[in-house]
Amino acid sequence: MTVEAVARKDFQDAVRSRWVLVLAALFSLLLSLAVYLVPRDASTSALFNSLVVRDLFVTLLVPLIGVVIAYNAIVGERTTGSIKLLLALPHSRSDVVFGKVLGRAAALGVPVAISFVLPLVVALVTPLSLDLGVYVGYLLFTVLLGSAFVALAVGFSAGVRSQRIAVAGPVVVYLLSGPIWSVIQLPLQLYISGRQFPGWFPLDAAGVFRLIRLVNPIESFKILTVEFVNGFLFAAGQAGTEAAGRYALDTEIAALAMLAAWMLVPPLLGLWRFEEADL
Amino acid sequence: MHGSYGNVRRLPGRLPKSKAGTDGSGRYMAAIELEGVTKRYGDVTAVRDLDLTVEEGEVFGFLGPNGAGKSTTINMLLDFVRPTSGTVRVLSRDAQAESVEVRRNTGVLPEGYDVYERLTGRQHVEFAMRSKELDGDPDAMLERVGIADAAERRAGDYSKGMRQRLVLGMGLVGDPDLLILDEPSSGLDPAGAKEMREIVRSEAERGATVFFSSHVLGQVEAVCDRVGIMREGELVAEDSIAGLREAVGGEAQLVVTVDAAGEDDLSGVRALDGVSSAHTDGGTVTVSCDSDAKTEVIGALEDAGVTVKDFSTEEASLEDLFLTYAGDGDRVDTTDDGAAADTGVAE
Repeated sequence: MTVEAVARKDFQDAVRSRWVLVLAALFSLLLSLAVYLVPRDASTSALFNSLVVRDLFVTLLVPLIGVVIAYNAIVGERTTGSIKLLLALPHSRSDVVFGKVLGRAAALGVPVAISFVLPLVVALVTPLSLDLGVYVGYLLFTVLLGSAFVALAVGFSAGVRSQRIAVAGPVVVYLLSGPIWSVIQLPLQLYISGRQFPGWFPLDAAGVFRLIRLVNPIESFKILTVEFVNGFLFAAGQAGTEAAGRYALDTEIAALAMLAAWMLVPPLLGLWRFEEADL
Repeated sequence: MHGSYGNVRRLPGRLPKSKAGTDGSGRYMAAIELEGVTKRYGDVTAVRDLDLTVEEGEVFGFLGPNGAGKSTTINMLLDFVRPTSGTVRVLSRDAQAESVEVRRNTGVLPEGYDVYERLTGRQHVEFAMRSKELDGDPDAMLERVGIADAAERRAGDYSKGMRQRLVLGMGLVGDPDLLILDEPSSGLDPAGAKEMREIVRSEAERGATVFFSSHVLGQVEAVCDRVGIMREGELVAEDSIAGLREAVGGEAQLVVTVDAAGEDDLSGVRALDGVSSAHTDGGTVTVSCDSDAKTEVIGALEDAGVTVKDFSTEEASLEDLFLTYAGDGDRVDTTDDGAAADTGVAE
């Protein structure tokens, strides 16, 4: 297994891209601005539930950056021919795909992590009292979300020959689960709740909507982080009734599982096609 | 198109000892074995029913014009592409199912590659070492391929020749049992091409099998034990250099620079065994003869009272042979640095 060698090489390569520097700076400024702008005496949860951080910085930017960092991972090497250097060495194609996922996820994680440092300093000079545990935890969830999109993009990158499709595929998923979702979420919910499902169907209207929401990686991320910053994650006992607690817990576990699935399934599908491909 | 197997020139007695991998004693293992290998891309057949065996320890030159199927064949050895039919075995392993093991023991200089622009030369070699799970000194390897002073520079800033050296260095990591070099001299100046040949020789001396392709005969001839010539996806000739030369008559062209010579001075030369023709324009004498008749030709000229200033031999006939097999002359690059010629100065 040479996943690590591929991941390291890929990280070294990707992290030297000018992109990464620009991103770290951009993230850092956005987050510092958010820290600066949250109302005095606000809590960490208010920070991460704020529009700038949650809806602009994290759920809109981070997934897109994940796609940008990763879409070219394999198809780009096939286009330039550097894949021949890579595969002349004793790497299996699955080492290449998963090494790329790890390497590019790290290349995303580093600027994101760096960008969380400056806001800490800003927090020291503003009245915001930052809960360090929540802060670091939120950073990890953010990297997880970004990694899901990295994995999605690497999957496409492995599975297709055309750079255009390798970009378009994950971008479409991103648009559907981010910007488009935020527009259609409410109408969709209304539409579904107004429908009668046949008796044999295992889910009721709320269940169908919950499922659709869980499939969306960005929504899964929101489910997890909202509970996390409010201190309710995997804490079913905090809910009013046992049933509500069970419901919340199930949803959280499903959300985490969905994110894990987004990290594994697209690369596996991409690998399946890549294995068969002539370079 | 062309008949397949029937065209292959195999001179008796020059065949590899066995196609099965050993000669019975187990000493000769085949480093590369292709049996009935065909590769089609849609309607285009890149390689057709190819049978080829390269013995362990051999230096094998894989010749042919661009587009003859050389790179496709090499890509099948490395599992970059999969054969449509036939079997490919490398280092006694299935080239597809056991490709990682094959590549662990193989060093490759591919064709049409690109380096990682943002990584330094040293990082490239380190990556090769880590990939082969070996410890080693990357700088020593860069030194060996002659780019030690560029170790810290981004490979994106390297010239074509430096990239070629870098990737060769990556291939040499871990003293592989097999070296596969696809057009190794492309991008190298004559001095670089010569260094490349020296590296091939020293790797062969170490015991490695070397399989390299070229569309330039001169690069292959100087170092190869055997060559195969591809044309339009088929192997049209497979033999040792000497065998090929013999097959076309083994003639050399000897060009002698003299102070002055006339037709009369050539009678002694023409009378020699092994000389088929001799001409002069006054300043040079051109003699077609067997390679080993060269000394006698010079001697005969001096006996006739001609002062020999300089001479060179050109194995032009081999070049002609290559062109004959490889097809259209205009598709074959024969303007190499003249490794096919050896030059000497008479006392």
